[in-house]
Amino acid sequence: MRPFCYSHQRRYGLLIGLLLSCTTMLSTHIHAQDSDIDYAGDIPHYVEQALEAGIEHQYSGAWEFFVGGGVSSFDCNADRFPDLFIAGGEATAGLYINRSKPGQSLQFEQDKTSSLALKDVLGSYPIDIDNDGHLDLVVLRLGANQLFKGGKNCTFTPANSLWNFDGGNAWTTAFSANFEKDLDFPSLAIGNYVDRTAPGSPWGTCDANELHRPAARSTSQAEDNAESQSKNSMGIPQYDNHQALTPGYCALSMLFTDWNKSGTDSLRVTNDRHYYRGGQEQLWRFDSGEYPRLFSRAEGWEPLVIWGMGIAETDLNGDGYPEYALTSMGDTKLQVLDLQQAIEENRPVYEDMAWARQATAHRPYTGDDLKPSTGWHSQFADVNNDARTDLFIAKGNVENMQDFANFDPDNLLLGTQANTFSEQGEKAGLAKDTRGRGANVVDLNADGLLDIVVVNREDNVSLFRHAGMQHDDGPRAGGNWLKIELQQSGANRHAVGATVSIKTGNLVQTRRVQVGGGHASGSAGFVHVGLGVAERATLRVQWPDEQWSAPYKLFANHHVIVKRDQDTALQWFPVEKLD
Amino acid sequence: MRIPPKLQPQFLLNNLTNMFSATPFQLSCLMLLLSLSISAHSDQNTLWSEHAIPAIPDTLNKQGKLDSATLQQLIEHGELLFDARFTTLDGAGRPMATQAIIPTKRKRAPRTEFSRTAGLDANACSSCHNVPVIGGAGDFSANVFVSEGFVQSDFDTTDPQFSNERNTNHLFGAGLIELLAREMSRDLQTSRIQALQQAKTSGEAIKQTLQSKGVSFGSLQAFPDGTIDTANVEGVDIDLVVRPFSHKGVMTSLRQFTVNALNHHHGIQAIERFGARWTDNADFDADGYENEMSEVQVSALVAWQASLPPPSTLKTDNKPWQAAARAGEQTFNDIGCAACHKPYLLLENLDFHDPGPLDAAGTLRNSEVNGRVYPLNLLTWASTLERDANGHYKIPLFGDLKRHVISDQQVAALGNELLSQRFVERNVFMTTELWGAASTAPYGHRGDMTTLSEVIDAHGGQARPSRDSWQSLSKEQRSNVIAFLKTLIIDPVKASAE
Repeated sequence: MRPFCYSHQRRYGLLIGLLLSCTTMLSTHIHAQDSDIDYAGDIPHYVEQALEAGIEHQYSGAWEFFVGGGVSSFDCNADRFPDLFIAGGEATAGLYINRSKPGQSLQFEQDKTSSLALKDVLGSYPIDIDNDGHLDLVVLRLGANQLFKGGKNCTFTPANSLWNFDGGNAWTTAFSANFEKDLDFPSLAIGNYVDRTAPGSPWGTCDANELHRPAARSTSQAEDNAESQSKNSMGIPQYDNHQALTPGYCALSMLFTDWNKSGTDSLRVTNDRHYYRGGQEQLWRFDSGEYPRLFSRAEGWEPLVIWGMGIAETDLNGDGYPEYALTSMGDTKLQVLDLQQAIEENRPVYEDMAWARQATAHRPYTGDDLKPSTGWHSQFADVNNDARTDLFIAKGNVENMQDFANFDPDNLLLGTQANTFSEQGEKAGLAKDTRGRGANVVDLNADGLLDIVVVNREDNVSLFRHAGMQHDDGPRAGGNWLKIELQQSGANRHAVGATVSIKTGNLVQTRRVQVGGGHASGSAGFVHVGLGVAERATLRVQWPDEQWSAPYKLFANHHVIVKRDQDTALQWFPVEKLD
Repeated sequence: MRIPPKLQPQFLLNNLTNMFSATPFQLSCLMLLLSLSISAHSDQNTLWSEHAIPAIPDTLNKQGKLDSATLQQLIEHGELLFDARFTTLDGAGRPMATQAIIPTKRKRAPRTEFSRTAGLDANACSSCHNVPVIGGAGDFSANVFVSEGFVQSDFDTTDPQFSNERNTNHLFGAGLIELLAREMSRDLQTSRIQALQQAKTSGEAIKQTLQSKGVSFGSLQAFPDGTIDTANVEGVDIDLVVRPFSHKGVMTSLRQFTVNALNHHHGIQAIERFGARWTDNADFDADGYENEMSEVQVSALVAWQASLPPPSTLKTDNKPWQAAARAGEQTFNDIGCAACHKPYLLLENLDFHDPGPLDAAGTLRNSEVNGRVYPLNLLTWASTLERDANGHYKIPLFGDLKRHVISDQQVAALGNELLSQRFVERNVFMTTELWGAASTAPYGHRGDMTTLSEVIDAHGGQARPSRDSWQSLSKEQRSNVIAFLKTLIIDPVKASAE
């Protein structure tokens, strides 16, 4: 550089000053614009309408019902509109039949004569246990758990005796199920909370969890497999024996998950540190033919101690491996797999990305209460159909816990292009002064927009209808979407364990059909995918036996039914509700 | 607000750093450059502006059913845009976005912004649509190379494994075409609902034939549980939306095509597809310009295209030609050409709603805005449309807005593409509307056939019987058919009259 003389300095100084001023002004302008555009995408407009929809239902009760409070969404009368079974705690659980019309206000009618109207219910999960095409229901209770065999028109028959299922007498708070290889019926994992009968209860007295495996297929059955599958003559499930999964650390959610894409599920359990001693989060491995055992530290499992309350799974980064959101008191965890260690050494090592992705949701996003919040049900979904995964978390103080936020609204974390999340619960209309527990994010009126039902402790259920995307002139249409139902014959008709892969442009989104997770709340039915501005999508299904389907070419904004033995997908229209 | 690259902080800072070694002359040049870039931005309305996109008159923001004067203003503005040779000052260029219809980022900017293969491949819409006049078709030299633009988006070869080479279609009568397609989609979807209701009522599966305006689209089967089997649907997408635009028949609307083409050919990104709502970024293509094409600007382009008069029939004074054309038209019908190249389809209504009823997210939808209605009956040419006894308009398109297999083992010339497009197989194309054919050579979707006779000879697949009949005609009969087709013109005078 040449010498910088004074005369130059003066002249250049003026110019530099001028340019710096211009630069500063422009920068300021641009930054001001950026801050104005806090979140540029669509924000759903939710309208709470539980009472108008005919749902007057509270989850209530003493200490045993501080936890739980689940809601199942599933179709029990073959109209493909999800019906709701809502836990009541000490009060009676309720089955609400969906009478909504497409895209219109939600309407439900309680089936007051249902055999499901039990007390002491904490949660439930739907699954077709006996492969008859009707969804059955696993009801989690304080006391004996109850399996119900589903029939036509939302009829349910108690089936513990029929299926030799021992409902036990524990305080059950979590559930997951999958179809293990070579078994025609699902394996049922039961998560229990505090053993109230143990000395010193409740502290350090977490109950054992349970694994109920169906009786293995007999040799003759295996030989007749093809015939069995075609005739659905697999007999009836028998759960004569069950195994304890110990140690138990007061599970509040569990989920069968294929964390390493091995084709064999492991069982992920999130536990409540409030009551365990020496406990941690757990991952049970199910090696073929062996008794389940926990992944150890030597195998890469890092101890994690949280007030675990809900598990949600999705593939956030499109690598085919699942990520997990774990709700807790304070920070939500967002665990991303260390891919290298997983692939090369089969080690389940996770990094918490919640802070980096702005998904901690650690305190209320509105109001004056700055204490940590309390997360329960968590669920990934695309609520604005922009092809980016969002995260819903039900929030609510346990029961007068002074160290935690009392006003603790539910979260709606909308995914961004930068793979972060933006909290939009307040703008979306979810910031209610309720104490949420279980929930479901599900399209209740067949319009492709995900509604939200939240079970509240000592308060009425919140039923948030998705009325469209917010706009100055009123709600408007959002991005494109697809809803996909899978069917196969024989065992596992609803294809639990299948992976749905949806390709639009260079984007591949995956959804896995699972039973479990959340907080005491299960769902079955259409898999929903937001497509953004794509008007077409190519779908491939990896069925539970790991066989891939041929591609299905689908048009956006439709319900489709993929039957394993058919080359083309069927379309479904809500004809039941047509005027 | 658009901030030109030369006014952006990074540019200014770079020059500031360099100034420490600048001579007074260089400094003066810098100041001049700075003042020019400021004036270039601020003087958009000067006569010597290097902007090509004109300012939008406030009057164009009117919504609802437009009156004649407003419609005319919108059309005129649309023509300005259609003919504008977009510059970088308008936001032309997409250094970090591909040509894909779904906003897709490039991994790195291309070395050269313009490319005859992957684009940018044109300066104006009218660069290609100009035969015989603006809005018309294009020469072989104006072919485009259509690829998805998701992977290998920067192909630099005409090898057909990377793109489908397509000749430019004319746009005359395009508004009427879209209106026909909307009514046909409505008919097909109504049939679907009726079948579902019948199945529900009867408790049995119902086979429903699909037909609209005399065109058959196969059938579907409806089941009592509300499901539909579309395996036997023919010539239309299984969502029963008739997509009338492009050789392949895969574009729903002029609006959708316009948004696609602005990005593909010019790097001008419409807000309704590439804006921050969908991409979190008002400058998705990273060319330094935000919000490059507004909703009303796209509407103006749509209005201009929709208002283009339909091609006409030449009323020749030449007696031999008149006689030959009459005979040729009869032969055209007799050998089955008119089965697909239907002389006319009936249209019920001339109100062109923008946005239309069938687009999906990414193209503006009527569920998002209070749109505009362009009453095409206000246009001069509308009075020349023939009507039937029911008052419906006879639209003489010589097409059926249906897709067909157009090649076979022996006659394969039109099955020359290697890539399917938007779920439509490589050898399937929409029936080309023949109106205006005499004015829009060359022929075939690649534009590589110089005469009408050649392209008729190339018809295989479902058109094979008619093509074989054509070949078995006498020389005179074939000449008569050509005489007839040569009367289907775009009259430059009428085309410019509106």
